[in-house]
Amino acid sequence: MSTQTTSPWKSLGQLPENVWRSIFRNPLPSSDLGRAQTSFTNFFLHLHPVKVHRNSLKATFTFGLGLISFFLFFILVVTGILLMFYYVPSTTQAYDRMLDLRGTVAFGIFLRNMHRWAAHGMVAAVFLHMCRVFLTGSYKPPREFNWVLGVLLLLVTLFMSFTGYLLPWDQLAFWAITVGTSIASYAPLVGKEVKFILLGDSTVGQEALLRFYVLHVAVLPAVLSLLVAIHFWRIRKDGGLSRPEVEDALPADSPAQMEVVSGPAVVMATSAAAAEAAKPVLQKRHYGIQGLVRGPFTKVGNVPDRSVFAWPNLFMAELVVFLITVAGVLLVSLFFNAPLEEPVNVMHPPNPAKAPWYFLGLQEQVSYSAFWGGVGIPTIEVLLLLIVPYIDRKIAGVGRWFARERLLANSLFLTFVVVNVILIIIGTFFRGPNWEFVSPW
Amino acid sequence: MKKTAAKPEIEQSEDAMTRRKALSWLSGFGLFGSLIITAFSNLIFIKPRATYGQPNRFSIGKPEDFPSGARVSLDVRRVCIVRDGDKIAAISTTCTHLGCIVSVSETGFACPCHGSRYDQDGNVTGGPAPRALPWYQVSLAPNGEIEVDKDTEIEPGSYLRV
Repeated sequence: MSTQTTSPWKSLGQLPENVWRSIFRNPLPSSDLGRAQTSFTNFFLHLHPVKVHRNSLKATFTFGLGLISFFLFFILVVTGILLMFYYVPSTTQAYDRMLDLRGTVAFGIFLRNMHRWAAHGMVAAVFLHMCRVFLTGSYKPPREFNWVLGVLLLLVTLFMSFTGYLLPWDQLAFWAITVGTSIASYAPLVGKEVKFILLGDSTVGQEALLRFYVLHVAVLPAVLSLLVAIHFWRIRKDGGLSRPEVEDALPADSPAQMEVVSGPAVVMATSAAAAEAAKPVLQKRHYGIQGLVRGPFTKVGNVPDRSVFAWPNLFMAELVVFLITVAGVLLVSLFFNAPLEEPVNVMHPPNPAKAPWYFLGLQEQVSYSAFWGGVGIPTIEVLLLLIVPYIDRKIAGVGRWFARERLLANSLFLTFVVVNVILIIIGTFFRGPNWEFVSPW
Repeated sequence: MKKTAAKPEIEQSEDAMTRRKALSWLSGFGLFGSLIITAFSNLIFIKPRATYGQPNRFSIGKPEDFPSGARVSLDVRRVCIVRDGDKIAAISTTCTHLGCIVSVSETGFACPCHGSRYDQDGNVTGGPAPRALPWYQVSLAPNGEIEVDKDTEIEPGSYLRV
């Protein structure tokens, strides 16, 4: 008792250290136990597993695309909230506020640039992330549902971008949304209703601007955040990132690995019998704390273990991806300004009236057939993407790029990607006034 | 002794409708039903009953304002008033392709966005437009003014006689 009582003066002297310790309970880890504890005692780190498989950290396996998408979303939330301080969703004021961002608001133009380029980047990163997951066969069981969530996230990302497009209330915004919502009205039965509810009126006007604003700053970010949370959670529950079914040989200099079992009380398994008993646990390993707690023994280095501690390996990798993403957005925003066209003129549509680049493939399809190009084919494409993990269930070629066993599936997917990229290129560079074919040279 | 007594009870609960099971189903339906009703109510809520922009029913003035042979495009209303002798009609100027405003040309209507062309009656003569321009209901209000109702489409070629 007596050792616990300290004088107020002494407490005051220890104040900084005590406050620090009350926030961060553990010192920087120097042992494997500490490294494990760091992952699950920190709020921001605890959604990570304590240990991750080496392949999850291989830059050429994931290219960090999922993380890049998430960090771009983070940048979009931060810059978006800042822009909200100056933006007014009113047809008479919105465009003036854009000019104010350029002229009077400190860093206004820079924040708008960051928001715009990060949005373009996010659409691209999410799409490339989907390509990575498909081409490495990572959507197969048990990861089917996370693939479905991923497809939904792609759709929400596109819708986020689409709703943001109207907000500057310039010619580009007005006509892109006029064209886009007209495409929606081609949907059978509900098309007209969907367009009317989306616009709040029969044409794009004040109601549409207000609705798109609410969707853009409140509804869709909430939906996206929820889906992202489940998406991340499912990565853990589905056993981490996918990896090859056959491991290549462990490097000879690999240090002996030890895992902590049953919480902080470390029990060393010394006998051969104990190591034998630990094997079933190994085969069903999750790289999550629940997996660690389940087994009765501590495993020692005599079993092949391809996993490394999340601290510091995974966190350093994530930090690097974050810094590269932020640096990329900052650099692009420094050198390129987000476009702003003339204020809305309802009487004079630009010719051609083009949608944002990632919808130009859709618009190109629409120029052949409004229903099939704008509604029929996209619906079929999305449905195919959604059911693909429930059709292609053979566990072969998972966790490797362009696995030979997946030649058919990968070829079909690449065809889908290439066709869409070509349509976007045609729509962007080869279409002039009246949507007639022009040469960009 | 106890075990044998318990067994038939379990079997019964599997196929027969017990009170517990019936109540579970009932509450399940109740919860799921209220979820659907809530979702549906939200949909009704966000569908506006009145719009704040351009009204879809509006007056365009007296018949005398439109001399015979006139083709007056009211861009703000997105409608073109056509008068031929004592016949009067209102044709939509919203392109049926992707919603741009068509302009009145010598041969009919032309869309500046994707090059759709229409004849004098709004029938498609070229370009990607999938449908003819709709005709709207035109009526004579008690005060003698012409009223256009964009919510009611009528058969092309049907005129109001004034």
